[in-house]
Amino acid sequence: MNALWPLLRLRIHRDRVQLPIWIAVFFGLAALVVFAVDSSFGTSIERQALMRIAVGSPTILIFRGEPQGADVDAVAFFLIFAFLATLVAFMSTFLAVRHTRAEEESGRFELIAATPAGRLIPLLATALHGIVAALAAGLAVALGLLAGGLDGAGSTTTGGAVAGTGIAFLGVGLLAGQVMHTSRGANGLGAALIGLAYTLRAFGDAGGTASADGLSMSSAWPSWLSPIGWGQQTEAFTTNRPAPLALDLALAAVLFAVVVLLQSRRDLGTSLIGERPGPQHAPRTLSGSLGLAWRLQRAPMIGWALAGLVFGVLAGTLGETVVELVQSSAQVGEALARMAGGRASIIDLFTDTIFGLVGVIAAAAATQAMIRLRQEEANGSAELLLALPLRRGRWIFDYLLVGTVSIALVLLGAAGGAAAGLASSSEVAGTADTTARVASAAASGVAQAPAALLVLAIAALLVAFVPRLSTGLSWGVLFVSAFIGEFGELFGLPDWLLNLSPFTHTPTIGAADVDSSGAWWMLGLALAGAVAAGVGIRRRDLAL
Amino acid sequence: MSSVIETRGLKKRFGRVRALDGLDLTVASGEVHGFLGPNGAGKSTTIRVLLGLYRPSGGTATVFGQNPWSDAVALHRRIAYVPGDVSLWPNLSGGEAIDLLCRLRGGTLDAAAYRDRRAHLVDAFQLDPTKKGRTYSKGNRQKVALIAALAAPVDLFILDEPTSGLDPLMDAVFRRELQAATSEGATVLLSSHILSEVEHLCDRVSIIRAGRTVETGTLAQLRHLTRTEVAFASTGLTDADLAGLAARIPAAHDLVLGNGTPRAGIPRAGTARVSFTADSDALPEVLPVLADLRVQGLTVAPPSLETLFLRHYREDAPSPAPSTGPLP
Repeated sequence: MNALWPLLRLRIHRDRVQLPIWIAVFFGLAALVVFAVDSSFGTSIERQALMRIAVGSPTILIFRGEPQGADVDAVAFFLIFAFLATLVAFMSTFLAVRHTRAEEESGRFELIAATPAGRLIPLLATALHGIVAALAAGLAVALGLLAGGLDGAGSTTTGGAVAGTGIAFLGVGLLAGQVMHTSRGANGLGAALIGLAYTLRAFGDAGGTASADGLSMSSAWPSWLSPIGWGQQTEAFTTNRPAPLALDLALAAVLFAVVVLLQSRRDLGTSLIGERPGPQHAPRTLSGSLGLAWRLQRAPMIGWALAGLVFGVLAGTLGETVVELVQSSAQVGEALARMAGGRASIIDLFTDTIFGLVGVIAAAAATQAMIRLRQEEANGSAELLLALPLRRGRWIFDYLLVGTVSIALVLLGAAGGAAAGLASSSEVAGTADTTARVASAAASGVAQAPAALLVLAIAALLVAFVPRLSTGLSWGVLFVSAFIGEFGELFGLPDWLLNLSPFTHTPTIGAADVDSSGAWWMLGLALAGAVAAGVGIRRRDLAL
Repeated sequence: MSSVIETRGLKKRFGRVRALDGLDLTVASGEVHGFLGPNGAGKSTTIRVLLGLYRPSGGTATVFGQNPWSDAVALHRRIAYVPGDVSLWPNLSGGEAIDLLCRLRGGTLDAAAYRDRRAHLVDAFQLDPTKKGRTYSKGNRQKVALIAALAAPVDLFILDEPTSGLDPLMDAVFRRELQAATSEGATVLLSSHILSEVEHLCDRVSIIRAGRTVETGTLAQLRHLTRTEVAFASTGLTDADLAGLAARIPAAHDLVLGNGTPRAGIPRAGTARVSFTADSDALPEVLPVLADLRVQGLTVAPPSLETLFLRHYREDAPSPAPSTGPLP
């Protein structure tokens, strides 16, 4: 047991940058949601309108939660909790996998397990570390809500619910680390289980029973199968019941017992689902750097395209609901119009707003493709490649191509999803209006491409000229650009700052007159950037 | 013989660190050239310059008479490289990695020959090509890179400690396969720490230290640089005999008499020993004197590369003296 404290300290030390960022994000989101509710739905009438629409539209319930009246605090909890719970679930599963399966995969666990710490103490240290992190996230949420001016009991309940969800998913992450052979696989399984938990509560909330006043609901049984649902069932700020959190702790305890059992019985380097052997020979497609880049990015690309599809469906099905919302509240309509930057058909504007997010997803997919090249270089496999007759310009071009295809797939998925959503929507289906809406959605999709391509080109430039900093800088550029693009106008940032983000130059489809000059400029810059990156990477040393 | 690799005063700086500081290296066509030096001497840096992965900060380097930086792609068609620490793609099987590397080099153009050669090597190295890159041990990753390098004919092999992590059996396979490749006329630059490997495979050797060449020559030439160690028991010899020894053997160096300061490695249980070192070519003059003295327990240790390498590898060794520079 003497080994526990050093191992716990090692974990805290390794996460000393990452965890504080997570916790700051939790605090910030909790504090901001109160501000957002106050500014967007300031009056009780507006909030009642919002909640009535929410209770009546399953699509909103799927993405939010269980309506509990129209008070500011209850509305805030309704809007934000599912999101906070999902975030903390990711934080916990990633943490669990990072300190268990990833360590085992890298061989570091072998070093530790050979000391008196053995095989189980590191696991215990990871569990304690994860519990501390989850509690810290919960505390940050509670403090954030308090800072926003909400009452202590509800804030504490919300914080407790976030911490409880985090602890439950810590168990999920530890289990995923026992089941899967690689940290990538374990993270994937963890994410899939988070998705399942989110979907279960989405069904539960969408299928709930509305109260007489039409402002609250009680969720259907599927919510009670999901740790995220349990958190919502605390009904913070209304009934404040902590009992459902016992389910979180019980789940965590059961999962941890299973994990200890597995860990104490299995050999080092094994997992419940073993590694499948690969093919003896390479397929015909794997015969050059393009084939390799495609193969390496194939699975993530499918994931990004699915994300695009989900947002597309969301854009396609939510349109009508938004029209209702806008008709019930002048201020909301104005806010939406402000975000979209014009005064045209609200549905098209709304679709375009959602497509703005799709554009960010496309840019993220492209950034990841380019960062893959850098990872190839950093982990040493590029040394094997570049000692072959492969032009470096060709090498980076292949990743630019895969990045471009990623963008296309995300946008195609989103446009397809929007079309399917619009076609299935009862009121407009089969009319000429639907055709116009689908065309508008497709145009919105195409409009996102130039900004995403520019972000891709920037990532390529960073890889070519500042390889060692490029991973962090590329994601940083994407994050800052996306933030300015999505929230810049809302926060009233100065024009010069707004103009720095590619996303603010994306043409607004649905606006009175579509200005596409920005798009052409961005395409030109992206092309120039790609060429410069191709030249730059030929001029530098291999950077291991 | 024309030279395949030629560097003159090669320099490479990383910030303030001088990884290469005027390195001279000549590898003639068709030879197996051993490339030795302590860790951090600049072996891998030199190799990366020769592969066009690093751009030299000064001096010249040519491979097949071409510039390794600007003519990299053309040169790489003729070169096979095995890095010291092979990183494979985690989710590609070993077989896929071998095929990918060979296809990129253009070594699979003769499909039938490639297939046979690859099958032979996979069998000889006892590699399971269906395992994923992430599950291979270091030795097995090394095998993947070796098979990819040997599976198609090339003009130049650049091997950076290629056998690190291989067991002795696989080591022997590697030597056999490399010799088969060189018998077809390929040139090899082999960086290694394993002296038996160097003795076994290499025609000529360059030793570098702190980014500079300190010794170049054939193994025979290098052996001349080391002295033979001679030792015998001092029992039955008079003090006068011993005192006269230095005068009678002018070729003797580092003479230690039996009652002198103890030296490590010389057994002295019960009886004292006399030891000295002699230039290897002076040995014929030494032996009659020893016979005359009727010495007992005579040991004559042949010049070992180890001694030579240790002399150059040691941190406190004096800076390379220009006089011992490259031999003809």
